[in-house]
Amino acid sequence: MIHVDRLTKRYGPFTAVDDISFDVKPGQVTGFLGPNGAGKSTAMRIMAGLTPATSGTATVLGRAYGHLPNPGRHVGVLLDASAQHAGRTGREVLTLSAIMMGVDRRRVDEMIELVGLTDKEAARRVRNYSLGMRQRLGIANALLGDPEVLILDEPANGLDPAGIRWMRDLLRGYANRGGTVLLSSHLLNEIERVADEIIVIGHGRIVAQGTKDELLSGAGTYVRSTDDQALASALALEDVSASPAATGGLHVDAEPMTVGQVAAAAGVVLVELRAGDSRGLEEMFLELTAATAREEVAA
Amino acid sequence: MSTTVTAPISPTTESALPATAKVPERIPGERPTAGIPFGRLLAVELRKMVDTRAGRWLLIGIGAIIAIALTIMFFNESGHHRFEEYLQATTMPMAILLPVVGILAVTAEWSQRTGLVTYTLEPRRSRVTWAKFLGAMLAGAAAMALSIALAAVVHQAAITIQGYGGDWSIDGDTLLGASLFVLLGIAQGLGFGMLLRNTPAAIVLYFVLPTAWAILGDMVSWLDGAASWLDLNRTMNALFLVDSMSGEQWAQLGTSVAAWVALPVAVGMWMLHRAEVK
Repeated sequence: MIHVDRLTKRYGPFTAVDDISFDVKPGQVTGFLGPNGAGKSTAMRIMAGLTPATSGTATVLGRAYGHLPNPGRHVGVLLDASAQHAGRTGREVLTLSAIMMGVDRRRVDEMIELVGLTDKEAARRVRNYSLGMRQRLGIANALLGDPEVLILDEPANGLDPAGIRWMRDLLRGYANRGGTVLLSSHLLNEIERVADEIIVIGHGRIVAQGTKDELLSGAGTYVRSTDDQALASALALEDVSASPAATGGLHVDAEPMTVGQVAAAAGVVLVELRAGDSRGLEEMFLELTAATAREEVAA
Repeated sequence: MSTTVTAPISPTTESALPATAKVPERIPGERPTAGIPFGRLLAVELRKMVDTRAGRWLLIGIGAIIAIALTIMFFNESGHHRFEEYLQATTMPMAILLPVVGILAVTAEWSQRTGLVTYTLEPRRSRVTWAKFLGAMLAGAAAMALSIALAAVVHQAAITIQGYGGDWSIDGDTLLGASLFVLLGIAQGLGFGMLLRNTPAAIVLYFVLPTAWAILGDMVSWLDGAASWLDLNRTMNALFLVDSMSGEQWAQLGTSVAAWVALPVAVGMWMLHRAEVK
């Protein structure tokens, strides 16, 4: 439902989005994960027709965004919850969108109720809203036109833990009904908990992409024993590669059972043996984040 | 003995999201395949002019200034002024301030960043801008009608209360000239807004430009010659005596309008279409 093909955006010598391609499918939540400044927002702005691409294309529902008729009824977009006129009330913001899309004004009340804003709060000017309230108003605005596709940039920002859970349930329900959801975040666990598909972006490039299961499996086994060196050599004899973990123990490229068998045969006492967690994804993500952080310090 | 007073935890004054998320109901019927009709864009743009405090106070302010101008005239010389003079008193302040309505209509999308929503709901940005253009013009026409009505009321009051003989004579050309004066000013504001896409910059440029012409014209003699062709304030003043306007004055008006209205609108429209909305 969203198709991105070799998309590139350059600002002078700086490449914000570097030749990225992916598909966002209906019935799934797709997480767009990357550290701040990785190019997520730029890519999403291009998808919504707000930023012209340097090269490549992005289509939503088979068309360039700018060619969608009355796009608010097809695609719900939330790119920056703070981008609202400070002097307008929350209800007025939604009313303007409703008039433009041609949806019933009752829908405005429904959306206000959906995101839990009280009537009093909806009558307040956006200037007096907290980030969380703005975020909720932005979500209400994105859902107003009953879209098939949702494009949300960091929607969980400013929400409390209960709010983040609410968001997760909402997006899950939306996808289950056949909707297409693309949401971005710079937090791995946020994405991990809601997304079916994950696209990891760093320095404008896609560094990993696949279903959550694909990205999280293949993490091998984590094992800790009384004698990790002996275990490592025993594994090496069986042609199983292992590397020492930073926190002690070994990361092994094999199933836990294989590791257990090798340990038993070698007579090494195990202290801990379990399937490796999302170490691969997490470490890759940490490396990306650390590299970005270093650049920020250098700059 | 000391007492420890623990401050009560202040209750949060902010509402929260509901405990369970409810997927919003479907809007019955097919999703539209037709674009947004222009009338709806126009309705939204007109609404945006009055739904913020800034916009509302600007319009109230313009009304207040007209009221003050008329009050002064009513008491000055016992209100013995021709209807045409009353009309000029209402038109002038309006003509100066209404262009700000046009500027705000365009620049708020960028300075307040509402364009992020507006241009995702209607990516055909020039349609939005034409809706703003027409909306501001309609506001100008309404304001003009109001100022004619107010001028008539006060003129009539001068006749009834101050015992003034009254002079209703006014010709259509004068009305047309004054209306054109007001509308051209708004169009100029819109053009500056589209070109700069920044509220303070557009407002400052709009107000500084005539003064700059006057000062530079005084200092540099050849610039004074240019000003008679390019200073919109000067060329538009001729519109108040529209029936005695010479061919040269019309040419001067046309030149200045091309330079300060048509060109900014054309270039601004093109730039606005290509600009990145952030």
